[in-house]
Amino acid sequence: MRAGVGGKDVVVWRAENGEIAAWDNRCPHRGMALSHGFVRGNTLACLYHGWHYGSSGRCSYIPAHPELDPPATIHARQYSISEQGGVIWVSVDDDAEGTDLGLAPLRSFIVEAGEDVVIAACASTPLDGAVPVVLGNSRFQVAGDTLMALCNPIGRAGTQVTILTAPNLPVARRLTHSRWCEAMRRTAEQEAGK
Amino acid sequence: MSLEYAKNDWYAVADGAVLERGPYKTQLLGTELTVSGPIDNPTVTDANGKRYPLQHRYSHVWTAIGDSPRPLFDIPEGDEPGRVLVPVGVVRVKCSPLRAVENFLDIAHFPFVHTDILGAEPHTEVVPYKAEIRDDLEEVWATQVKFFQPQASKSAGGGIITEYEYRVPAPTAAVLYKTCPPKPEFKDVIAIFVQPRSEEECDVWPWMALYDETSTYPELVQFQQEIFLQDRSILENQRPIKLPLDPKLEIPTRADMTSIAYRRWLKRRGATYGALTADA
Amino acid sequence: MTAFTLYNYVLSGNCYKVRLMASLLGVDYKIRAVNFYPGFEHRSEDILALNPAGTLPILMAGDLVLADSAAMLAWLALNHDASGRWYPAADPVLGPQVQHWLAFSGRLTNSAGLARLEAILNWPVDSETVRKAAVKDLRELELMLTDRVLEGRTWLVGDQPTIADIACFPYVALSPDAGLEHDGYPAIRNWLYAVRSLPSFVTMPGIHELHELRETSDA
Repeated sequence: MRAGVGGKDVVVWRAENGEIAAWDNRCPHRGMALSHGFVRGNTLACLYHGWHYGSSGRCSYIPAHPELDPPATIHARQYSISEQGGVIWVSVDDDAEGTDLGLAPLRSFIVEAGEDVVIAACASTPLDGAVPVVLGNSRFQVAGDTLMALCNPIGRAGTQVTILTAPNLPVARRLTHSRWCEAMRRTAEQEAGK
Repeated sequence: MSLEYAKNDWYAVADGAVLERGPYKTQLLGTELTVSGPIDNPTVTDANGKRYPLQHRYSHVWTAIGDSPRPLFDIPEGDEPGRVLVPVGVVRVKCSPLRAVENFLDIAHFPFVHTDILGAEPHTEVVPYKAEIRDDLEEVWATQVKFFQPQASKSAGGGIITEYEYRVPAPTAAVLYKTCPPKPEFKDVIAIFVQPRSEEECDVWPWMALYDETSTYPELVQFQQEIFLQDRSILENQRPIKLPLDPKLEIPTRADMTSIAYRRWLKRRGATYGALTADA
Repeated sequence: MTAFTLYNYVLSGNCYKVRLMASLLGVDYKIRAVNFYPGFEHRSEDILALNPAGTLPILMAGDLVLADSAAMLAWLALNHDASGRWYPAADPVLGPQVQHWLAFSGRLTNSAGLARLEAILNWPVDSETVRKAAVKDLRELELMLTDRVLEGRTWLVGDQPTIADIACFPYVALSPDAGLEHDGYPAIRNWLYAVRSLPSFVTMPGIHELHELRETSDA
């Protein structure tokens, strides 16, 4: 899948052995987005010419030259990645430090609004008629539930939002939370549109 | 300057189908143009009413907006009797016009992008072929190109080894000569005429001159449209958008000899509209 | 012995719905290529006589002439799916749910479908209007598919793929042709993958084959 991190276009993928990787989303051959590629075993192959890259980012196979051992200079640029508590963390600057937040991811979506507008919308969107209480650190308490909004800026005026909630909630509650996400987004985008 | 160089080439800007529906507004090298009139007597004007020279060739209307345009290239097969001439219809792509041409010249992508039509795994190997800049013609040519194809053309019965020749007669035009199954002594001609709207967007006019007495005309059109639309989803996802002419940014292999020659040829001519150069 | 003739355009998402369903059901058919673009043949007198709406696809089976791709999906499922699972029309809950998604698929044709035609073929529609409508439809689909995921399900209706999924699939899968990427729709991405993984799935330009599933003798 493709993700925007720190202004960079990143491809995130999982190998058959479960290992995850985050690379610059560009095949060094002809600049094709690797996020359109396909995973075979423990390699990611580019959709354009099928160049295979192993977990180290190094090109391992070039279909046009099946006998060739690709030189080490052909490699994808790697970023740091960590998986904690069902959330995948990527950093393009330093080592990705994930934390196990002890919450269950609900869903991830894009809001056409800046991060501060999103957080303000989280603080003001009611759930079951109750207004949220801001706990700090992107956490909110509303109608007996804890919600957390992880924000990742995209472009100049967008935010990728991942909402997490307490684990092991009944399905019906989670469906309600999902509806709350829609309402929050409407509030944020209305505010941003002004 | 790359724009001044680009202005002195001819570009396809309309075909009969488009003109049948009335005056056609378009954009060439950042300039807005209107093409009007019937295909056999059209006019090309800009927003100020200035008229530009035009030609009616290869089923399209061509124009040049520079002061001293170089001559339009010749494709003699377009005049051969018995050939079906097929203007395939314009497709808009958000990519550099040069990326569109380079993709047309490439065969290593056939098994992955045109799967089970122009190529299929495991027949992915590109055997060495010949690519050169022909100085006498000032064109790029690739010859002795061979590839195994499950369904090379509408007229091909099953899988065959197709032989290709590629020719780049102008920076944003490319011509392919390929094995013609019904008449093996002749070659089918498939071309793309790329109209640069800007450095990062183009209108592509594919065109064919074929020997095919069994397919219907819509079948011929759609076979080529299918191929090109498969390429479009690649073209819009290449970064940087402009074509890098510096070989350090993008790593070629021997299968890319035609593209290497093309990039070198563009640099030599100063045909860098749509390209990323070291000093850009 | 072919079951029907399809008046077809290779780049049409609506025609593709029929081609895809026929492949999934293993039904043989004949194609009559119509020069939709650049010829606008669908508006010729011959084709208008068959389908006064002037649209493609058109399905002909004996004396039956059908327009509207959703109707064709229903015809295929009712006549060529002995299991009845692709279109549970008689089920008092599932049947109407399928109807809802068939109606939604019509909205997708006019939002994401038109946004794509505008981007690719310079179709004379207002770009901003159709793109806004497409985003609204994609978000609605994402919400409903997220419900399914939270309920532990994959498909739009019930526990198996139905014509509801096939009807909605093409224009959603093709929205990147108009620059409407799927990055913000993880539930849609997973559902698209599920449809593309179905046995006898076939592609169309703009929808790539899942090369990861291909049997090859590669390294």
